[in-house]
Amino acid sequence: MNKIKYILLVSIFALTMSCGEDDTPQAERFGEFVVEFDNIVGTKQMSLKTAGSTDYNFENNQGQNFNLSTFRYYISKIKLSGPNGEVYEDEMKVDANAANVKGYYLIQESEPSSSEISLNNVPYGEYDKIIFTVGIEEDGVVEGAAGGVLDPAEGAWFWNWNSGYIGFGIEGASSASGDANKGFSIHIGGWKDIAPAAGETQRFFNNVKTITLNLGVNAKVSATQKPQAHIVTDALKVLGDINFQDTYGVHSPLAGKPFAENITTAFAVDHVH
Amino acid sequence: MIIAHPVLWVCLFCLTACSSEGDSPRDLTYEFKKPSNFPEPTYTFDNNTITKEGFLLGRKLFFDPKLSRDGSVSCNNCHQQSKAFADSEQHPVSVGIDDLLGIRNAPSLTNLAFFKEFFWDGGVTHLDFVPINAIESEVEMDEDLANLVRKLKNDSEYPELFLQAFGTEEVTSPYILHSLSQFTLMMVSSNSAYDKYVRNEGQILSETEIAGLELFKQKCSSCHSGELFTDFTYRNNGLDSEFTDTGRARITESRQDEGKFRVPSLRNVELTSPYMHDGRFKTLEAVLDHYSEGVVISPTLDEELKGNTSLGISMNEDEKSKIIAFLRTLTDREFISDSKFHNR
Ligand code: HEC
Ligand code: HEC
Repeated sequence: MNKIKYILLVSIFALTMSCGEDDTPQAERFGEFVVEFDNIVGTKQMSLKTAGSTDYNFENNQGQNFNLSTFRYYISKIKLSGPNGEVYEDEMKVDANAANVKGYYLIQESEPSSSEISLNNVPYGEYDKIIFTVGIEEDGVVEGAAGGVLDPAEGAWFWNWNSGYIGFGIEGASSASGDANKGFSIHIGGWKDIAPAAGETQRFFNNVKTITLNLGVNAKVSATQKPQAHIVTDALKVLGDINFQDTYGVHSPLAGKPFAENITTAFAVDHVH
Repeated sequence: MIIAHPVLWVCLFCLTACSSEGDSPRDLTYEFKKPSNFPEPTYTFDNNTITKEGFLLGRKLFFDPKLSRDGSVSCNNCHQQSKAFADSEQHPVSVGIDDLLGIRNAPSLTNLAFFKEFFWDGGVTHLDFVPINAIESEVEMDEDLANLVRKLKNDSEYPELFLQAFGTEEVTSPYILHSLSQFTLMMVSSNSAYDKYVRNEGQILSETEIAGLELFKQKCSSCHSGELFTDFTYRNNGLDSEFTDTGRARITESRQDEGKFRVPSLRNVELTSPYMHDGRFKTLEAVLDHYSEGVVISPTLDEELKGNTSLGISMNEDEKSKIIAFLRTLTDREFISDSKFHNR
C-alpha cells in the first residue's frame, strides 16, 4: 500500500510539473534591444515612387537611372553576442496562428513601422555583435502553411510553383530597362541546399544568407539602458553591377544567385545608441 | 478499495485538469491511420492534427466553386472521386476557368500523406502549399488568395466553421490550407485486391495477376517501387527527344533534369486515364506499347531504359496483358465509393 502511495505521489508530482507553466523566476534579468533597418541607395536615403513612375531619382553602378517602387526583405534568426559570453537568440516559431509566429520580420520600405525590431528578453549584459539571416531558411518552409508575415494572403511573397519565400524583393523602373514598360523586378529566393552528386552539376540554389556585423561598441542592456542598433541596407549594393537593359526580371533561384551574393555586402552598422 | 483512496482522487483530478479531451469515444472515421503495408507518413501532423471539423471544412472548400474568381471552378472539377481524384478521361491536360487549358494532366490524389514533394516536377515541397497553385493559377481558378480570404470572411457560413475547426472565427489562409490538407490527407487508398493479398487478408489473386505481379517486379519496379509504386525520383521514361515541358529542370534549373518527371504512383491506375504528365496515352495498353516499342533517345533518358539491344523494356503481348491484369488489382473500390469524401 505504501508503495502505491509513493507511486501515486510521484505521478502527481510529474503531472503537476507537466501541467503548470509557472517556472520559478530566474535570477537572470532581461531587457530590451532594438534593431532598426534604414534603407539607402548608395549615398541617398531611399524613397519610393509609384510603380511605373518615370521620375528616376537614383543611378546604378552602370550610370543607368532608376527608381524604386518596392523594397522589402525578411530578417530572421537574430542573435546577439557579447564579449563576456553573453548570448541572445531570438525565439523562432512557424505556426498557422499569426499570433504564435515568432522571429520572422518583414522589412518593407513602404511601411516605416516595419523597420524597427524590438527584441525583448535580452539578458542583461554587453553586446558587440549581431548575426541575422536574410530570407527564410528551410526550417521556415518545411512546416507548411504559416500565418503572420509568412502568410501569402497577408503580404508574404511566396513562389507557388517552387515552394519558398522570396527573401528579398526589389521592384522599380529604369529608362534603360529592356522591358516594354521600363520596369524591373528582382525577386531573390531559393532555400534548397543539396550538394551535387559525383559527376553532376549543381541543382538548386540556396540564396538565404547569414550576416554577421560587429556593432563597433559594447552595447549595454540593463534596467536603464535599451540600446538601439541602426543598420543600413544599401539597395545599390544588392543591385551590384546590374545592367537593366538585359536584367529586368529575376524570378528564380539561379537568376537570383548573383544578387544573393551581393546581399552579403549590403548591410552595415551605422551607429548604436 | 484503491478507488476510494484519497491520493488517487487527487491524482484523477490532476489528470482531468490536464487533458482537454472529451470522454466520448473517438470517431475513427476522421483519424489518419497508416496502413500496415505502407511507409511512415511524411506530413507534418504535429502542426495540423486531423479533426472531424477540420476535415469537414476541408471537404466543403474542396467542393466549393467560390474558391475560383467567378465561382465556376472547384477542386473537384479536376479531381474526381470516381477517378481516384484524377481528372476525367476527356481532359489530357486540365481545363480551368473560362475553359482555359493547363499544361499538365491532373494526377490522382491518393496517399499524399506519404509524399515529400508534389506535382509532376516536385516543385511544391509541402502539401499545404499545393492548393495555392490551383487557386491563383490564371488557367485554373484565377483567384487571389487574399481575396479568397475576404470572400470567406464575409460568407454567412464559413467563419463559424473555422471557429469549430481551429478555434478561431478569423478566416486566414493557413487555416484554409490546413483544412484542405486535412481533407486530402485522408485520401488513403490501401484496400485494393493487391493490398488485401499482400496483407494476407484472405484475398486471392488469379494466376494471371500473380504472373503479372512477378513481371512487374522484374521490369517496372526499379522505378515504380515499394507499396506506393514510386521511388519518388524524377526520371525520363523516353516519351520525347525534345521537351516542350522541361519537367524537373524547371525546379532544379539544371539541364541534366530536362524531360524528367516524377515517377507516378500506380495505385488506381486503371481509373486515372489518360496517362503521363501530358495525358498523351488513353489506355494502359498504349503505355505498355510505349515501354516496349516507343521509347525514344535523349540526353537524359533513364539508364534503365537504354537496354542492351534496343531502347525500352522488352515485353511480348502476353507479358503486357499479364502486367495490365496485375495493374488492375491496384484499383480500390472502397476508396472511390467512400462516403466521407462525398459532397454533402
Ligand atoms: C483546373 C484543374 C485543377 C483544379 C481546379 C485543381 N487542380 Fe489540383 N492539380 C491539377 C493539375 C494539372 C495538377 C498537376 C500540376 C503539376 O504537376 O504541375 C494538380 C495537382 C494537385 C495536387 C498534387 C498531387 C500530386 O500527386 O503531386 C494536389 C494535392 C491537388 N492538385 C489538390 C488540389 C486542390 C486542393 C484543389 C482546390 C483548391 C485543386 N487541386 C484544384 C489540376 C487542378
Ligand atoms: C526508368 C524508370 C521507369 C520504369 C522502368 C518504368 N516506369 Fe512507368 N513511369 C516512369 C515515369 C518517370 C513516368 C512519368 C513520365 C511522364 O509523365 O513524363 C511513368 C509513368 C507511368 C505510367 C503513367 C501513370 C500515370 O498516372 O500517368 C504508367 C501506367 C507506368 N509508368 C507503368 C509502368 C510499367 C507497367 C512499367 C514496366 C513495364 C514501367 N512503368 C516502368 C518511370 C518508369
